[in-house]
Amino acid sequence: MRSMSDARSIIRKACSEGRTKLLEHEALDLLEAYGIPKPPHAFVNSAAEAVNAARRIGFPIALKVVSPDILHKSDVGGVVLGLQSEDEVEQGFNELMNNVKAKAPYARVAGVLVQWMVPNGLETIIGATRDDMFGGVIAFGLGGVFTEVLRDVSLRVSPIGEDDARAMIRETRASILLNGFRGMSKRDSEALVAALVKFSLLIDENEEIMEADLNPVIALEEGRGAYAADARFVLKC
Amino acid sequence: MSLSGEDYINALLNPSSVAVIGATLRRDSIGNIITINLAKKYRGKLYLVNPRYTDINGIKAYPSIKEIGEPIDLAVIVVPAPLVPSVMREVSEAGTKAAIIISGGFSEVGEEGARLEEEVKKSAGKVRILGPNCIGVFNASTGLDTFFLPEERMGRPRPGPLALISQSGAVAGSILDWAARRNLGIGIAVNYGNKLDVTETDLMRFLALDPSVKVITMYMEGFKYPGEGRRFMEAAKEVSKRKPIIIYKAGRSRASKRAVASHTAALAGNYEIYSAAFKQAGLIESSSLRDMFDMAKALATQPLPRGRKVLILTDSGGMGVQATDSLEPLGLMVPELPETQRDRLRKILPPLAVVGNPIDLTGSATDEMYKSVLEEILPTDSVDMAMVIALMQLPGLTVNLANYIIEAKKYGKPVVAVSFGGNEFMARFNDALDKGGIPVYATPDRAAKALWALTEYAKVVGEIHE
Repeated sequence: MRSMSDARSIIRKACSEGRTKLLEHEALDLLEAYGIPKPPHAFVNSAAEAVNAARRIGFPIALKVVSPDILHKSDVGGVVLGLQSEDEVEQGFNELMNNVKAKAPYARVAGVLVQWMVPNGLETIIGATRDDMFGGVIAFGLGGVFTEVLRDVSLRVSPIGEDDARAMIRETRASILLNGFRGMSKRDSEALVAALVKFSLLIDENEEIMEADLNPVIALEEGRGAYAADARFVLKC
Repeated sequence: MSLSGEDYINALLNPSSVAVIGATLRRDSIGNIITINLAKKYRGKLYLVNPRYTDINGIKAYPSIKEIGEPIDLAVIVVPAPLVPSVMREVSEAGTKAAIIISGGFSEVGEEGARLEEEVKKSAGKVRILGPNCIGVFNASTGLDTFFLPEERMGRPRPGPLALISQSGAVAGSILDWAARRNLGIGIAVNYGNKLDVTETDLMRFLALDPSVKVITMYMEGFKYPGEGRRFMEAAKEVSKRKPIIIYKAGRSRASKRAVASHTAALAGNYEIYSAAFKQAGLIESSSLRDMFDMAKALATQPLPRGRKVLILTDSGGMGVQATDSLEPLGLMVPELPETQRDRLRKILPPLAVVGNPIDLTGSATDEMYKSVLEEILPTDSVDMAMVIALMQLPGLTVNLANYIIEAKKYGKPVVAVSFGGNEFMARFNDALDKGGIPVYATPDRAAKALWALTEYAKVVGEIHE
């Protein structure tokens, strides 16, 4: 497990390079520094490294290009999903690199993220924004593509404790789904509670973070955890 | 807050001496209205200051606050803005504890005004300042009244258990006028204007210590200084454990939002953040001014419920249905009564009565029927509170019903009444309830919201758990 000093160095590095967004692997490292569960990942620069990493992480694997110049990775073929073997990972890596070279020749490629694919679960969002009057504000809601359409979200000013986190979850309609609606299995709400409390600490201790989305945070069946599959951090240094 | 800090704010709200700086004979001017109001009602020592007079309406006028010869608790400043910094210096030098700067023309009008406000701050020394650009303080029991609205235009409420902290002066004035007409006791009201020094947070903290205040109501448009929301929350968390705070936040539109890059920032609108913070701090949020005082009446007079179960007792099935409709979405329950209780009620009540929950006494209702049901059900574990609906258009009811409802207070459970109509007889009934400490509402939805507020506050103080 990493420590808070890792978190500081991640943010300082981004700031010193004049970036206002963390790269994907930095964002995941930041979550790891605070003990927020995310699928195991590695940051690699070659097909061979990708294969090694995949062997260590386990299958299925997702590969994602990491570049400060690419905003929507899938638009340039920078995401390859569902790789089940070492061979598929090697092919997938080469395919991804060719796609990016062809569709975004201008982009600087920092490397490739090798990530375990979280099984299907209920997609939630955990997020933060920083308000002039109140400081850090934590959000929880239904995640994935419908987040902004359904606006099923509850807010709290950070820091929050476990009771606050439970109340936040209870206030959303997502809680009906988490409790197992119509034969769906009950989801790991307590894992979300733990993630919310740790995330609130992360936001409180790192004032450069202006906005953040962990979307989706995938809640698996009860006892199997919740994983932040994707994370975005917007900084103001 | 330090002891001396409390002492200074006490001087602001409960001064034993007041000097009006800028007192004048000029009719209908602010300085004139404040002078007249204080001369007529203020129970402490009143001094008038204006170098242009030696006498105002028979009261001696001093050329400067320093000439009075003794320290004054509170200076009320009504001179034009450019003169305020020098007046403030004198106020400070005279050993005054607090000042209300009524005058406008400061940061609310732009850069130059903001500079002037800064100057006032520098010349204030230790004096605590309310305002500038405010309507000040109304204290019903001491007669301190800097609301510069003539009495024939703005009625003054009787002393009572409610306190009002308002960001808007005009809103505060209209609330007091409205409360006076409805015999609603607002003992103290404060408008804080530009908040050069004393903030809503300071006022809330101080009113928490005032034993005459049972419920704090707040009208707010928004905070002004960075980090202020968080300081307010921290104070409110403590105060809300001691007494209920009801807040109405105006300004809820999404119109002005900065461009944002994340889902969360797009979802967390300005108002939504305020609302979340209020909830976290144990405040009870109202959706309108009327709603705020509907809830305040209940919180000032009723005990807290120990659960969510409501008995609805009515003489109208229609009103009973409305009550159920209003209560359930608020998370309150209207449970069926146990069979044994229903059996007993069937024996007491005439056959036409509908024995369920709501209990509908129908058009043949009498005072005695209400009394029997309240005695039979309210003391039992079946319910935690009651909404008593009495349409006084029925010939079988008398004003004495009010006494039966008031007597039910002895069970230590919240009781609110609904009485709708317009006749004189009903007005007397409502009046009797009101005097007996039973809040009465025109419609079931308003009574439901009042019961909801009691339940919410019971959660804040830990009487009810989620």
